[in-house]
Amino acid sequence: MRFLSGLIGLVVGALGVLGALVPAALAEPEPGPHVTATLVADHAGVAPGQTIHVALRQQIQPHWHTYWKNPGDSGEPPRLAWTLPAGFTTGDIVWPTPGKLPVGPLMNYGYEGEVLLPIPLTAPATAKAGGTAHLAAKVEILVCAEICVPETKDIALDLPVTTAPAPADPTWGPKIAQVIAAAPQPAGLSAAFQPKGPNIALAIAGPALKGVNDAKAYFYPASATTIDHAKPQAIERGPDGLTLTLAPGYDFQGGHAPAALAGVLAVGGRAYEVAANPGPAPPGTSGLGPPAPGDVAAAGGAGFGLLAASVFAFVGGLILNLMPCVFPILAMKATSLAIHGGGEERAAARAQGLAFGSGALVTFVVLAAVLIALKAAGSAVGWGFQLQSPPVVAVLALLMLAVALDLSGVFDVGTSLQGAGTGLASKGGLAGAFFTGLLAVVVAAPCTAPFMGTALGWALTQPAAAALVVFAALGLGFAAPFVAVAFVPGLLARLPRPGPWMEVFRKAMAFPMYGAALWLAWVFAQQTGADDLAKLFAAGVIVALAAWLAGLAQKRVALGGRAVGLTAAAALATLVAVGAVVWPKDAAAELTSEPYSAARLAELRAEGRPVFVNYTAAWCVSCQVNDKVAISTGEVRSAFARHKVAYLKADWTKRDASIAAELASHGRAGVPLYLVYGRSGGDGVILPSILTPDIVVKAVEAADR
Amino acid sequence: MIGRRTLLAAAAAATLAAGPALALPQLGQPAPAFTAMDAAGKPVSLSEFAGRTVVLEWTNSGCPYVGKHYNSGTMQALQKKETADGVVWLTVSSSAPGMQGYFTGPTARKWAAKEHWSGSHILLDSAGRIGREYGARNTPHMFVIDKAGKVAYMGGIDDRPYEDPESLKGAKPYVAMALADLKAGRPVAVPTSQPYGCSVKYNSAD
Repeated sequence: MRFLSGLIGLVVGALGVLGALVPAALAEPEPGPHVTATLVADHAGVAPGQTIHVALRQQIQPHWHTYWKNPGDSGEPPRLAWTLPAGFTTGDIVWPTPGKLPVGPLMNYGYEGEVLLPIPLTAPATAKAGGTAHLAAKVEILVCAEICVPETKDIALDLPVTTAPAPADPTWGPKIAQVIAAAPQPAGLSAAFQPKGPNIALAIAGPALKGVNDAKAYFYPASATTIDHAKPQAIERGPDGLTLTLAPGYDFQGGHAPAALAGVLAVGGRAYEVAANPGPAPPGTSGLGPPAPGDVAAAGGAGFGLLAASVFAFVGGLILNLMPCVFPILAMKATSLAIHGGGEERAAARAQGLAFGSGALVTFVVLAAVLIALKAAGSAVGWGFQLQSPPVVAVLALLMLAVALDLSGVFDVGTSLQGAGTGLASKGGLAGAFFTGLLAVVVAAPCTAPFMGTALGWALTQPAAAALVVFAALGLGFAAPFVAVAFVPGLLARLPRPGPWMEVFRKAMAFPMYGAALWLAWVFAQQTGADDLAKLFAAGVIVALAAWLAGLAQKRVALGGRAVGLTAAAALATLVAVGAVVWPKDAAAELTSEPYSAARLAELRAEGRPVFVNYTAAWCVSCQVNDKVAISTGEVRSAFARHKVAYLKADWTKRDASIAAELASHGRAGVPLYLVYGRSGGDGVILPSILTPDIVVKAVEAADR
Repeated sequence: MIGRRTLLAAAAAATLAAGPALALPQLGQPAPAFTAMDAAGKPVSLSEFAGRTVVLEWTNSGCPYVGKHYNSGTMQALQKKETADGVVWLTVSSSAPGMQGYFTGPTARKWAAKEHWSGSHILLDSAGRIGREYGARNTPHMFVIDKAGKVAYMGGIDDRPYEDPESLKGAKPYVAMALADLKAGRPVAVPTSQPYGCSVKYNSAD
């Protein structure tokens, strides 16, 4: 058959030459191949034990297509039969979100143009560095236009086996990484399906779908028999997700229903994995009606104009004043105005109000400009985008802590009562007010007020000018209460009379700020890990120390003394603290290891390799110190590579009976324990509990003898 | 009542205008009736086979998946065995004029002779009417109608949705299994499966 179709292809090709003479009655396609298949890799090589991605690259002729894992109503996904060097393994294909390819009354799912199908490839720990791995595959691709042609090709790639992980391939590294990043991701969505008349209602909810509004939302089922692919999918929006009405496929025949409905939800330019069970819809998946045609917003309400968005933003800005990250600062600033009565001082209060207002407004507009520029550059950003960067979160957490310490009275900055009292009319007072406005916006970032999200969601889908107007409205709303207090004499007079209560109020206000600082620390921990959180906590302690030193210095100055040393020490401590959390991590942090198991140890020893076993735990400080100063060092790294040492890590952070038993068998009740097994057998050598690189290197050299 | 009927008719017209959709026959329900010309130019109706088991096989002579089952001879062998047992085997071509696998009487007869086709009738459904009634997606897409005229099986001919002829080895022959179940008076154990193959080449313009 294949020979025959090849022959037909040849004949048709020859006829094509005569095409000018013959009327195009036979709309036969151009001769094949209709798809070119090659194998590419995201790294320039693979190290023993390393997993990289290779990708099947398909370059498909215009108007032809190949298929997704569920091809839809017809067709077949590409299949690969690998021939790999001993021990090399491949994982499942990472399928990019397909496109809809309607054919007459039918629907197919697949790809046109060029597509990369990434596939994880793992080299065995025993792979010989310095050699070349010949990765070969027979690939069968069904490529279709109106008709289908199966094409079989032999593809191969020679990949160097490197000692250390190889650098990314300059061409394919970024491309494959991009495909993997854009592929459907699990997003912790909760999903359920149930009958709805003759159809099925699939309801999906989750944080990723909050406020979702996309008329093009589409569910790609993973199996070809669950739904009728060609039928339209009606969309109903909810505050936390959406409900799709699907026509049932063969799986629902004869009164049956499948145990699960799995697939991919493409929405708002992203795609998420969905696994639905039979049952009632999760809450928040309906009630808002269908999206308007043309709506494509991942979040935020659409369907209202610039005026409505600006009003929402203004109200959102007003409410933002009451949020725990902002209120303490503003409350203090506002009460400071109350000290001033009438006349000249009122004019000063107005100037302060204006300075604060412009500070807030300018900061909002600058933030908006940055946001719009980032979006234009193709980043997927939204409100609070700055909080996606761990160093920014860390600095904000420290800033919140500093403000809280200020409110607690540990030290004083310009926003405090005394400072505001003395410097109100001065230039420094105005700059201080401007700065307070800026600070208020910066600390407001973690908070989103009601109405605000909707307005900003809308703004970010609009042209830059409209977006700037909405952000400016937000800034105006944010600044309004304070400016109003400064300008409206009645309001100023109504503020409570200053008195000792203000000191109590101020100290109470410190606690929401401590809360905000802790919350940011929690966010930071989610973004990074326990190790970095420890750094942030250390930085927090240093900031508190610096604040206390600054307070001491201020007291000394107030008593007429000099405090240059103390002030310098406070500044230095703050620098150290901020530096510690913002400093980029060194790339070559930890030596790569395999998790320990008795079986893996026996296997490696049978291969005749020296093995280094590290019994460790996250809570064991000396283990961490040993790891940083002795094990994860360049000397040990190269010694491990030189002697082909297998590095196993037995992690005892969580209770583990088998590791406890191992420790006991070596006469230990706890970690650390370092064992080195020689190439030629024998018992493991126990290393001291306090390691140096030299000790490890010598032990490894001995083990390779 | 009249108003309602008009409304329904209008709705049906709207559906047709919006695009030709495929119907979905229901398992255990009466199979949709049809009449069509066969390759010999004789009208054939489903109703004339009342009391007999009927197999519907969608075909397209140019489709590689159809080729997998005809080149290996497995399709013809099943046709021969089942028709000898009294089963009516209707091979349907729904390819539209100008599309791959479009059959006229003579081209269908020529193909049948070349492939040693051994069914009962080849039905010419170039308008795609039977195909749409049955929701036929693929070639080959298979249906089995029991002696009571009810849909007893729909789906693939086996469990191997691949073009590669190697995939025939060890395949589960769902249609043969369904026919065996019906012959033995058992409920069909696997009444649906994934239909696979080329798309039916309907006229997409209508």
